[in-house]
Amino acid sequence: MTDFWRRNRSWLWPVIFILPAAVLFGVVIVWSSVQTLWISLHSWDGMGPMKWVGLGNYVELFQDPQFYVSLTNNVIWLVLFMLAPPIGLGIALLVNQKIAGMRFAKSLFFTPLVLASVAVGVVFTWVYTPQFGLLSLVYGAFGAAAPAVLSDPNAVTFAVVGAALWPQIAFCMILYLAGLNSLSEDLIGAGRVDGARGWRMLVHVILPQLKEVTFIAIAITAIGALRSFDLVSVMTQGGPFGSSSVLAYDMYRESIFSYRFGYGAAIAAVLFIIMLFFIVWYISRLIKAEREA
Amino acid sequence: MPSLELQQIHKTYGGYDALKGINLSVEKGEFIVMVGPSGCGKSTLLKTIAGLEPIHSGRISIDGRDVTNLEPGDRNIAMVFQSYALYPHMTVAENMGFGLKMLRRPKAEIDAAVRRAAQILRLEDQLGKLPRQLSGGQRQRVAIGRAITRSPAVFLFDEPLSNLDAALRTQMRVELSTLHTRLGATMVYVTHDQTEAMTMSDRIVVLNQGAIEQVGTPQELYVNPCNLFVAGFLGAPRMNFFKGTASKVTNNEAAVDLPGAGTITGRLAPDASVKPGDILTVGVRPEAISIGGEGSEVRARVRLVEYLGKETILYADANPLVCTGSDTGTTDVTVHLSEVRRLAGGDEVQLRFDAKDVYLFGGSGDRTLSARK
Repeated sequence: MTDFWRRNRSWLWPVIFILPAAVLFGVVIVWSSVQTLWISLHSWDGMGPMKWVGLGNYVELFQDPQFYVSLTNNVIWLVLFMLAPPIGLGIALLVNQKIAGMRFAKSLFFTPLVLASVAVGVVFTWVYTPQFGLLSLVYGAFGAAAPAVLSDPNAVTFAVVGAALWPQIAFCMILYLAGLNSLSEDLIGAGRVDGARGWRMLVHVILPQLKEVTFIAIAITAIGALRSFDLVSVMTQGGPFGSSSVLAYDMYRESIFSYRFGYGAAIAAVLFIIMLFFIVWYISRLIKAEREA
Repeated sequence: MPSLELQQIHKTYGGYDALKGINLSVEKGEFIVMVGPSGCGKSTLLKTIAGLEPIHSGRISIDGRDVTNLEPGDRNIAMVFQSYALYPHMTVAENMGFGLKMLRRPKAEIDAAVRRAAQILRLEDQLGKLPRQLSGGQRQRVAIGRAITRSPAVFLFDEPLSNLDAALRTQMRVELSTLHTRLGATMVYVTHDQTEAMTMSDRIVVLNQGAIEQVGTPQELYVNPCNLFVAGFLGAPRMNFFKGTASKVTNNEAAVDLPGAGTITGRLAPDASVKPGDILTVGVRPEAISIGGEGSEVRARVRLVEYLGKETILYADANPLVCTGSDTGTTDVTVHLSEVRRLAGGDEVQLRFDAKDVYLFGGSGDRTLSARK
């Protein structure tokens, strides 16, 4: 036994350590995904017997105008969320300055990260309230009346994304702050001796060092935009008339409220395929980086 | 006009005085090496010259121009860092040309400067590579090349060879000296390695606790150290120091009672003031001590012998003659013989040294009291 152990421990140890994670991942992620695909081929109310409908759910989905509204909203989320990395970088550069009071400012920028997203949603619902919200105060200062953004089908998604950007920017800021702290001081010194400063220092010396952080920030922000659900649920429930819904919220509503688990699973499958595009990009980058190192 | 002039440079970190009034004037084309123990302020001083660290008060001028408040890029200097600090995302050519690019020079001029530097440093085949594809010695050359392309008034080196192995260090030392001769440039070089200091420099600056102890040619500092610190810092193995008491003082000589070694009479410097009863430190270089012969004075027992090919280093217990502040952490006397002597631990030897080779230190700051040699 001990002899067997000694000869094989170089691969036994890794296997033992990876096994719990692999089992968990296999059951919770892989098995559930396969099951979701299976359910998406059925009509099922969640309790009774499942009825095979083949690609029926998908055919219905692609003819449903709500699907295209939600898909468009997901694209809006994705595009606007890409503001989070550059704004996060900007704030990180600002609060990273050695100026008195910056520690306090930094902790203020951290705030949204310690809030539950439900709280963020509630806070922003108040901000947008036409009668007494912060937005109405701002409009009032110019003598105008604030629009009711959450009940305007054309503005509501932008309003929800605005709320969601708050914690997302803070998250990107933290990533960049960590990246800035690990920059080599000598390298910045070399840049200064070479005459780089301000914008050119940022572009030529600092940003190339933050390439990996930027990659992680963009990937996580993209995936965060696609799986957005909580703020839609808290602030609008997809309304008015489904105009602020996203695919993840459609999936939830069809399954839980309408007892159409098969249809919900089909939405989940489509969302999964869209996300797969980003996941494959992310993982192939990781593998490439690992191979180079 | 001096190439670099430092006047009363003061720098404090919080309440700590990192640099206490540094004055130094460097002539054009001079190779200055700054040495000192860790934390003596030598790297800080270099960074203040570069402009990477602000100073509290004082004035820095380069080629007669006051640069005290200028950005590093406007000082007409180049710096080589210990960590090389190459831009990892740029090729060798881009690294070397970056400074000129920041000066918005035409591309043809940048290319020519890079090619010239690459040729001097034998990097022509590496120009397209990234720093991580290079060996340590090549990276070091790129860092030097980056300095050369800008043809600065002053080159600054911050322990540039300390990340290299021994063989490469020797090679780069020779290359740097050659480069200095070839470019005729003013160079300020920080190191803690005495070999680099002794072999490369025109003048050595010895720093200790944020202040200059002594400035001079390597030979001058070795033969006529101005105080006990400089005497102990330069020279390997380190000078032997013994505590003694002045017994008889005449106009130009002092007799010092040395427990275990009788009385030693040394000539005094004209301005030295010694009174009978003063506690003095007697210094003798290991190579000034010989074994046996006539007039042997000190009996000792060999502790350890190190053979260095054609030389021998002995550590001998000469109690009651005890050595203070030795590198070895013992009270043994260190002897450096220029020939091979077959000795073994436990052997009895007679140590002998001449009064003319003896240094006397005492007073405030343990200044050198003995006459110039």
